[in-house]
Amino acid sequence: MLELYHWEPNGSGLKPLIALHEKQLEFRSHYVDVPAFEQYRPGFLKLTDETRVPLEGEGPILIHDGRQITESLFIIEYLEDAFPGRSLRPAEPILQARILAWARFINEVLMPAVSTLGCRAYLAPKLKGVDRARLASLLERVPMKYLREAWQSAFDNSYPDELIEDSRRKVALGVRRLEDALSGAPWLVGSSYTLADIDAFSICNSLPTLTPELMNASVTPRLLQWLARMRERPAVHAALALSRTGKPEQAFAPGPEHSRWG
Amino acid sequence: MLTIYHWEPNANSGKPILAAYEKGVEFESRYIDMLAFEQHAPEYLKVNPNGTVPAMIHDGVLVPESTVMMEYIDGSFEGPKLRPDDPFERWRMRWWCRYFDQVIGPSISMFGWSFFVGPAMRMRDPEELKARIERIPLKERRIAWSKAIYGTFSAEEMAESGRRIAVGVEQLEAALSERPWVAGNTYSIADIAGFNMLAGLPLMNPQVVNDTLTPHLLEWLRRINERPAIRRSFALGRTELVKRYAHLDRRNAAATGGEHA
Repeated sequence: MLELYHWEPNGSGLKPLIALHEKQLEFRSHYVDVPAFEQYRPGFLKLTDETRVPLEGEGPILIHDGRQITESLFIIEYLEDAFPGRSLRPAEPILQARILAWARFINEVLMPAVSTLGCRAYLAPKLKGVDRARLASLLERVPMKYLREAWQSAFDNSYPDELIEDSRRKVALGVRRLEDALSGAPWLVGSSYTLADIDAFSICNSLPTLTPELMNASVTPRLLQWLARMRERPAVHAALALSRTGKPEQAFAPGPEHSRWG
Repeated sequence: MLTIYHWEPNANSGKPILAAYEKGVEFESRYIDMLAFEQHAPEYLKVNPNGTVPAMIHDGVLVPESTVMMEYIDGSFEGPKLRPDDPFERWRMRWWCRYFDQVIGPSISMFGWSFFVGPAMRMRDPEELKARIERIPLKERRIAWSKAIYGTFSAEEMAESGRRIAVGVEQLEAALSERPWVAGNTYSIADIAGFNMLAGLPLMNPQVVNDTLTPHLLEWLRRINERPAIRRSFALGRTELVKRYAHLDRRNAAATGGEHA
């Protein structure tokens, strides 16, 4: 049996929701209210040595026959490995390598930047009413230091100018790379729709709202057309329809850590 | 034809080299001297415009990223499997590769650069160094090289790296006390990545990695160190760097143990 613990269909949580629908796999959905810290309440899943160490921030958890799988891109790679029918991954090793290379860039450059900008815009205002002492006790349950600090920044609404500047630079770099990749090709890797499109779309779907100055019809026309093509897919439509807030593109929680090297 | 551009056979450069030898794939080795900044020279940027090492070219096509290169080698050539068939173990392999790449590896490099690369660099002409740094294509790498060369890693950054190494080592020790290899019952690219990142730790951080605190981790390093492929990999080294791994030889370990006894 497949179960998915996820929040709103945006960012990391959106990837497995799209892949599960594309592959037409039945699964039980467990909606977790992440800004309400439901994933840290006593009695939530008993995590394993690996899954209690999140490397992509607050991400979804897949459970397949009792085994826990985390890290959104690796969840969708896992679904390909375990359920090879209706494949979203080309057979050629070089195309598989390009999917993994995109994943690395998305996870280490684009996701941290989008998450920082999104948390400042939408999560920080949401946490305003939370009592400081209660937040401190909640944060004790957050396992990773980078993740505790990201929640604290959202609570304090304190984002250094350099971090915002650097995040905008990374988003600009990311959308430029995606725009280039989509020149002359309808999809990111090879000639067909793949996991790379699901990966990138899940992170970019919020950008026309979040950073309209960096992603719009004049600067990134192909990227917008690709976004529209993605949204037309029934699986993507079904995944986005699982939103309970009606505004999935405004749902942000701390994501992966920014690279410590610069 | 397969060509691997690499520096010393450890850390990221060691990953595709060891994976190719384990797979039984012959390749053309091109040594790039990172201390001479050959990775930012125009000839190399033609091969890899990002100016990062290693780089791998297969039949004229660039394969990016050292971890991705290992998956590519396993998927493209005949030979022993370097990725588990079981989907869950394969997931665990990818999880650990990411943990090595994003958390443990950069922390270990910070120590390596701070103690080895930085001091060696500061003996050179300052103007030449400045020019060398300016031509590095990626901003992240420019900052990293500046910090390494001018020794500007802060005490907090170094302490944080030390903390991450300690936590990572503890977690790896726990994993290896439950199973023979990082991903499960089969040797995989997660072991290749882990060895290349961690093999120097018993020397560099002996208070964290030693026979008392981390017996399984050390046994795992020694087992990999005995593989024929690692001998071939080390043979590509041109500096003293790989000699640091002599401590993994069981005969040396026995001698050390005897002295302490």
